[in-house]
Amino acid sequence: MTDELRVVGRDHPIADAALKVSGALVYATDMRLPRMLYAKLLLSPIAHGRVAHIDATEALALPGVVAVFSHENAPQRLYSRYRLLPDQDCPEDEPLFAETVRFAGDRVAAVVAEGLDIAAAAVRLLRVQYEELPAVLTAEEALREGAIPIHPGGNLLSEFEHAAGERPEARGNEVTVTVATSLPRAHHAALEPHSCIADCDASGKLTMWSPTQSVFGARTVVADLLGLSYSQVRVIKVPMGGSFGGKQEFTLEPVTAFMAMTLRRPVRLALEREECISSTMVRGASTSTVRVTADPAGVLKDLEVDTLFDAGAYGTSSIDYVDMMTKKLTRLYRVPQYRHHCRVVYTTTPVAGGCRAWGAVDITAPMEIAMDRLAGRLGMDPVELRLKNLVEPFDRELLTGAELGDARIRECLVRGAEAFRWDERVQQDPGRGRYRRGVGVACGAHKNGMLSDTFPDFSTMTLKMNEDGSVALGASLHEVGCGAVTAMRLIVAEELGIEPEMVSVTEADSDLTPYDFGCYGSRVTYVCGAAARQTAVALKERLLEVAAVLMGRPVAELCFRGGRIEAASAPGEGLAPAEAVMAAKTVLHEDVSVQSTHQATSNPGAYSAQFAEVVVDTWTGLTRVTDFLAVGDVGRAINRAMVVGQYQGAVQMGIGFALCEEVGLDTAGRVVPGGFKQYHVVNTPDMPDVKVILVEHDGDDGPYGAKSVGEISVVPTVPAVVNAVNRALGTSLSDLPLTPAKVVAALR
Amino acid sequence: MKMSLTVNGTRHEVDVRPTARLIDVLRDELGLTGTKEGCGEGECGACTVLVDGKAVASCLMLALQACGKEVTTVEGLAHGGELSLLQRQFIAHGAVQCGFCTPGMLMSAQALLMENPTPSADEIRTALAGNLCRCTGYSAIIAAIRAASGREADRADGSA
Repeated sequence: MTDELRVVGRDHPIADAALKVSGALVYATDMRLPRMLYAKLLLSPIAHGRVAHIDATEALALPGVVAVFSHENAPQRLYSRYRLLPDQDCPEDEPLFAETVRFAGDRVAAVVAEGLDIAAAAVRLLRVQYEELPAVLTAEEALREGAIPIHPGGNLLSEFEHAAGERPEARGNEVTVTVATSLPRAHHAALEPHSCIADCDASGKLTMWSPTQSVFGARTVVADLLGLSYSQVRVIKVPMGGSFGGKQEFTLEPVTAFMAMTLRRPVRLALEREECISSTMVRGASTSTVRVTADPAGVLKDLEVDTLFDAGAYGTSSIDYVDMMTKKLTRLYRVPQYRHHCRVVYTTTPVAGGCRAWGAVDITAPMEIAMDRLAGRLGMDPVELRLKNLVEPFDRELLTGAELGDARIRECLVRGAEAFRWDERVQQDPGRGRYRRGVGVACGAHKNGMLSDTFPDFSTMTLKMNEDGSVALGASLHEVGCGAVTAMRLIVAEELGIEPEMVSVTEADSDLTPYDFGCYGSRVTYVCGAAARQTAVALKERLLEVAAVLMGRPVAELCFRGGRIEAASAPGEGLAPAEAVMAAKTVLHEDVSVQSTHQATSNPGAYSAQFAEVVVDTWTGLTRVTDFLAVGDVGRAINRAMVVGQYQGAVQMGIGFALCEEVGLDTAGRVVPGGFKQYHVVNTPDMPDVKVILVEHDGDDGPYGAKSVGEISVVPTVPAVVNAVNRALGTSLSDLPLTPAKVVAALR
Repeated sequence: MKMSLTVNGTRHEVDVRPTARLIDVLRDELGLTGTKEGCGEGECGACTVLVDGKAVASCLMLALQACGKEVTTVEGLAHGGELSLLQRQFIAHGAVQCGFCTPGMLMSAQALLMENPTPSADEIRTALAGNLCRCTGYSAIIAAIRAASGREADRADGSA
């Protein structure tokens, strides 16, 4: 199929690259609205307590201060920042401003002023008295008898178990390993800090400009909270400097909307880096214990996982997040019995929320670290052990019975092992000196969209052809920075046989563009991309209908040939699409535009196998990743350069998660201050040149066979690195991240 | 306080607070919002500009320290509406994703190329050590800079 494609599958720069390299793209914090006010939040300095008194006298006296908001003058209604659909089951436990603060970083108050410097100065003049309550800093503490309840319902937000299959009768020669792996809180570290602008006009209409992943979700949350109809709230998605899940939920939109509505002026709220880390969302801390049993030949017989997940102070998406964790492992391995017991727990720590791959990283790291342990116990090569158990194409997975489609994880692993020279490198002696070298491998599975037995997935788009033959795709896209807009443009251009430059693509505007859930859930290429293609097909059909009337011929006789609409029986006679559009307007008094809804009917597996080489300095405990290969079952690369770039970026994130990224708390539960000084993101000198192999094939329902990339690309990275470190050192480290201190301690 | 500085070849007289940072003057007074603030503490490099030809984190420099100096921002890289070779190579190599680190990356790379027109990959990595990117894994950025330096670039897409 690749040979037949003109634009899909090639390298294309991201659509707005010229604007980005010239500094011309306007992000939220670059916008200036007439009469715009600036807000600054006062965040709780304590992990748990009651706000006994707020004295705003001095702050209000500062010239230029317009208002101070707190629980004393804001609605007390509780909401969920995660809600997408009005009837969705999500815990509503968060107020706009806290009367009881539940983590250091909770919103206590906000000052709105004519200038940012004034707002910042005024926040420092707020006098707040707190009555401190005991902090609860770990999930274990929160579940202890006698622990103070953080919310009225207690600290156990949810407990559930998913189980399927039956364990075969034991023969007595099985091997079982049990490994507990801990992942810390992590910061998404999008380079653009969180920001949002809201305005409320004289008619009461609220307009928001937000780098959000879902305008319709933001609209739902804000309108429901403020008692507005959905037509009174317009959310416009603005350029986003990265998200990685950190801008999926609505952290700033509700409070900014409330302030703008109250003051009837535009209000901008933009956070600083430390505020982003402590007060928005983190990837939640979790510990998962994997108990995996195999027969002596390495064939899995049983898999049990127990997860304790720290949701932080508010529930947001944590129950669904952990539910998603459950559904990854049976997409990866064939196993006769699987059981996952989960507890999701409130603590007085930063709020957990969506993070790239939504639980797949959190459960794949424990699983793949356990698989290496199992390989060690069996005396088996880690690649060989995995090949005995990975799913085959068109398997149905055990837990939900979902079809996995043309699942090519085995091909990923085999091709990767060959390119990485695994068989040779795994035999190499790590060395006995200061520096030890080791290689590691891991596999991962993810999904394509949100379709499940309990949730739908679909996308609606419009497409109109202009009088010159160019087209405008109306779609609620939320470009996060990795090329969703470009991909849609390529798909439409491919389908219509025109150049990509002839296709304009909208991003989401809740008043103007058709409904779409948002850009997350690995659904954009697979579901939105299929919608774009389907809409382009519908436009071609519409063009044929119009041409049929204009030419006085039955539609069935017409077809596209050489970029023109012709009758099969009369070659040479016909119309260019642009001529049909013009004639439609002048002769038929009609527009040539279509709307189409694509309903997802499948959710196959997305897969990756990854290989790492590390060198560990046994004196300092510092680990460097010296070589890395990522192999991805992408079905088809729509935009090859961006697919490879996403993989390379995902590996950077995964290496950080494995080795250095952790949102640390002090003993009082405060995030250790210092922003990126404390939160170490892997920089250029510490990054290897990541090699990427794409496994492409037909066989799945995505556009041109394409599958998701943005999330699966990070799924196996953490365990690949950890397994390499453990191989290099002969250790069994599984408490992440593998900081120098932990490495040195393990060697003692 | 009144001060003057030259930005992208144009001399400006501005009235600044003594505590104003260079980034504040560039963005708020001169409307040059291409320079981004990612951390406010000199750790992420998104706010990098050139001051008298050297790469500087504009969030760490007081505006008054730039008095009388020549400042170049990302808006100053293109000439006569035409993007510079470095900018074009960033586009061509897929070195741009979300774009928030891009202006700072470009300015650090520009400073490097002005000092060392033919840097090795390791020299590029060192020069960019203070510029964080969360999207690309850096490979495409390094390839773009190598291409702009006139050396033959490694395969830009990292394909094995």
